[in-house]
Amino acid sequence: MRRVVVTGVGPVSSIGVGAVEYALALRAGASGISEITSFDASGFPHRMGGEVRDFQPEKIVRRIEVDDWGRTSLFAAAAARLAVEDAGIDEELLTGARAGAVLGTTAGESQVLESVTRQALAEGYDAVSPERMGRIDAGRISLAAGTELGLTGDLLTLSTACAAGNYALAHSLDLIRTGEADYMVAGGADSVQQWLHAGFYKLGAVAEHACAPFDRDRAGILTAEGGAALFLESLDSARRRGARIYAEVLGAGLNCDAYHMVAPNAASIADCMRLALADAGVRPDEVDYIGAHGTGTPTNDVVEFTAAREVFGDPPPPISSTKSMLGHTMGAASGMAAIAAALGIAESFLPPTINFGTPDPELPGIDPVPNTARPAEVGIAMVNGFAFGGNNAIVVLGRCDD
Amino acid sequence: MTEELLAEPETSGKQLAGKELAITGFGVLSGLGIGPDALVDALTRPPEPVDVSGMFTEPLPRPDAHVLVDFHAAEHLGRKGTSFLDRGTAFGLLACRDALADAGMAEPDRARTGVVLGTTAGSLKSTSDYSRDTLTEERPYHVNPVLFPNAVMNGIAGQAAIRFGLRGLNATIAGGPLALLQALRYTGVALATGRAEVMLAGAVEEFSPQAAWSVQHAQRRAGGTLPAGEGAAVFLVEDAAAVRARGGRPDACVLSVTCSGSAASPGPAGTTDRLRECLRAALDQAGASAAQVRTVALGTDGTPWLDDAEETAVRQVLGAGAARLGTTQVTGVAGSASGAFPLAALLARHRAEPARDGELSVLSTRSADGSVAAAVVRGWSRAGGDHG
Repeated sequence: MRRVVVTGVGPVSSIGVGAVEYALALRAGASGISEITSFDASGFPHRMGGEVRDFQPEKIVRRIEVDDWGRTSLFAAAAARLAVEDAGIDEELLTGARAGAVLGTTAGESQVLESVTRQALAEGYDAVSPERMGRIDAGRISLAAGTELGLTGDLLTLSTACAAGNYALAHSLDLIRTGEADYMVAGGADSVQQWLHAGFYKLGAVAEHACAPFDRDRAGILTAEGGAALFLESLDSARRRGARIYAEVLGAGLNCDAYHMVAPNAASIADCMRLALADAGVRPDEVDYIGAHGTGTPTNDVVEFTAAREVFGDPPPPISSTKSMLGHTMGAASGMAAIAAALGIAESFLPPTINFGTPDPELPGIDPVPNTARPAEVGIAMVNGFAFGGNNAIVVLGRCDD
Repeated sequence: MTEELLAEPETSGKQLAGKELAITGFGVLSGLGIGPDALVDALTRPPEPVDVSGMFTEPLPRPDAHVLVDFHAAEHLGRKGTSFLDRGTAFGLLACRDALADAGMAEPDRARTGVVLGTTAGSLKSTSDYSRDTLTEERPYHVNPVLFPNAVMNGIAGQAAIRFGLRGLNATIAGGPLALLQALRYTGVALATGRAEVMLAGAVEEFSPQAAWSVQHAQRRAGGTLPAGEGAAVFLVEDAAAVRARGGRPDACVLSVTCSGSAASPGPAGTTDRLRECLRAALDQAGASAAQVRTVALGTDGTPWLDDAEETAVRQVLGAGAARLGTTQVTGVAGSASGAFPLAALLARHRAEPARDGELSVLSTRSADGSVAAAVVRGWSRAGGDHG
C-alpha cells in the first residue's frame, strides 16, 4: 500500500478563492454569508446563504468553454485547476499519466434542471434546447474537471449528498494506495438553488441569519455553494519532484446508518470514526483536531459530539466547523473542511467555529475553537462528513514530517 | 463442460486493485418485465413499446415507451414504507431484493455488506416536481418534506440500506451509461481495501415526463429514434477467491474493468480512439486475447454517430468474429440502467444455456460526452453446480 499525500488545494468559496485567500479567511474567522441572489428568495422567511458572489470561472479555467457547462461543473473545474496549479505539477505530465478526478455532489447540475423546469412551465418542454437538456447529467461534474485538466484516467462523480467530498477523497486515496492511479484530483461541488433551499427550509433545517454550530441557540444550516479540490499523489512521487506537502491522507472510514433517511445516528457515526482511525493506524488519543460535519442543526451537533465522546472519551479534541463561515456547501462541504484541516496541519493553526456565543449544556466539555483561529501544532486531524441516506465518510489527515 | 473452460482464467496480475470480482446473483427489471427471462426473450422477439399516454398528466414527447405501465410498488414490496417511494426507488429495492435472493444470501453480514448504485441525475421527476412546486405554489416553500429524500440522488441506495439492514459502504455514482462499470470498478477497489466484503452494485432509472423529454432531446439531437425505457439491474459482487474458498460457483467473474474520461475530443474519432485503448487495456488486464471473446455486449443506443464510433473501435480490437449483443433496442433508452442491462442479459443467457459455460464476453459502453468504459466477463450456468 503506497502512502498518499496532499500537495495541492483548490478552494473556490464564499470566503476566498485559492489556498492563500482561503487560509487567510479561515485564520480571520471570515463569514461568506449574504442574502441569496441566485434565485428570487423574497418569498422565503429565511433568505441568507453562502453564495460565491464573485465567481468568475473564465478567469480560472483555461481549457473548457464556460458557456458549455452548468454552474456546479464550473465550480468543479475551477477548483480542480486551482488545485493542480497549487501543486505545481506539469500539466503535460498529468495528461500522459494515470491521473483522474473524483468529484462529489449533492444536487449535481439540478440548477440546470430547475431552469429547464421553469422554461417548461412557461413554454413547454419542446421549447427547451437539446443542448441545455443535456447539461443536467450529474456525471458532467467530474467530466468538467477532467476535461479542464486533460486527464485520461477515471472520471467519477459520487453523488452521495453532503458527505460526497469525503467519499471522493477516500476513493482517490484507495486508487493511489492500490496502484490503480498515480495522481488524483478529489473534491466536490454544488450550487445554491431554489428547490434545495425550499427542501431544507421545509424540514426546519435552515437558520434565519447565521450558522452557529455547537451554540446553544443554533438554528440550522445556511444553503451554500462552491467547489473544493485536493490534489493527491503518492508520497514517493511528491518527494521525487520536491513538492510541498500539506498533509498525508492517513486513512478513511465509510459506513451507512441503515436507520433513517434524514436523522443521523450516533452509534453508526462512532463506528465510522473507529473505522477511519483503524484504517489510518491512529489511536484516538493521537488526534489533535476534528473538522466537524457541524451543520449547526440542533440534532446534528449533539449526535456528532456524542459520537466523538464515545470514541475519544471526555473531553474530545477541539472540534470546529467551517460551515459556520461558509454555510453548507453540500457536496463540497467535506472537501472544504479537509482543505481547512490540511492548511491547519501545514500552517499550525486550528480553524475556528464563528458565531459561537453560548455554550450548550448538551455538549459538555466541547472546545469548538470559538470565533478566532488558534495557533496549534496539528499532528493528526479527523474530518467528518455525513449525509442524508445515512451515508457517512470520515477522512484522517496527518502531518508529513518524514 | 470441459476442463479447459472450468480452469482458472490466466491472470496477468494486473486485475482491478488485485481483485477478481465474482457475481453470485442478480436482479433485473425493465419495461419488458420483472426478472431475467423477459429480457432474454426480448432479444429474440423484440416487443413494441407500450402506450404510456395515460400515465401522467404532463405532456409527453411521444405516446410510447418501454415501461412497466401498471407497476405499483406495494404489490411487490408490501404496503409498509412504500407509499412515498418514487418509481426508481421501488425499482432499486426490488432489484436489490432479487439479487440477494438469487445469490441465496438470506442473511447477509450487515456490517460488511454495502451498496453502490448508478444513476444519471437521480429522479428527474422528483427533483423537477420539487422545483415546480417552489415556482407554482402560493409560497415557494410549500413543498412536501416527505418527498425530499427522493429528490436527492443518493436516496435509493440509502433506502436499500434501511430496507435490508446493510450498514457497509453505501455509495451512489452519477455516470449515465457508464455508471454500472464505474460501480464495478468502485466495488473492486472497495473489496481490495477491505471497505466491504459484499457489494450490491447496480444502476436504476425511472420513466417520467422529464425523463421522456430528456431522452427525446438527446435522440433528436443525435439523429436517433428510440423511445425511453426504465428499470434496474443489481448484481451481488464478492471477491472471487473468497467465493471459491467456500466452495461456491460464481455466475460470472469480472476479470477487468477499465474506464476513461473524455479528455479532449468528444466526437466520433476521439471516442473510437479512447474506446479502442480501453478495450485493449481490459483484455490485457484480464489476461485474455481477442480470439477468446465470443460475445461483445454493446452500448448501442440508436444514435448513429456514436453507435458507429463504438463498432469501429470494437472491430479494431476484436474483429468481426465475436457476436454482437445490444439491449437498448429492446429496453428503450434508460440512462444508467441501459448501461447495466447488457450485463444482466449476458448472465441471464448463461443461466439459460449451459453450453455457454466458461465463455468470455466483453462489455463496451460509451457516452455522448465522449467517456468510455469496458469490461471482460466470464460466465456460467448453474447446471450441475452447487451455488453459494
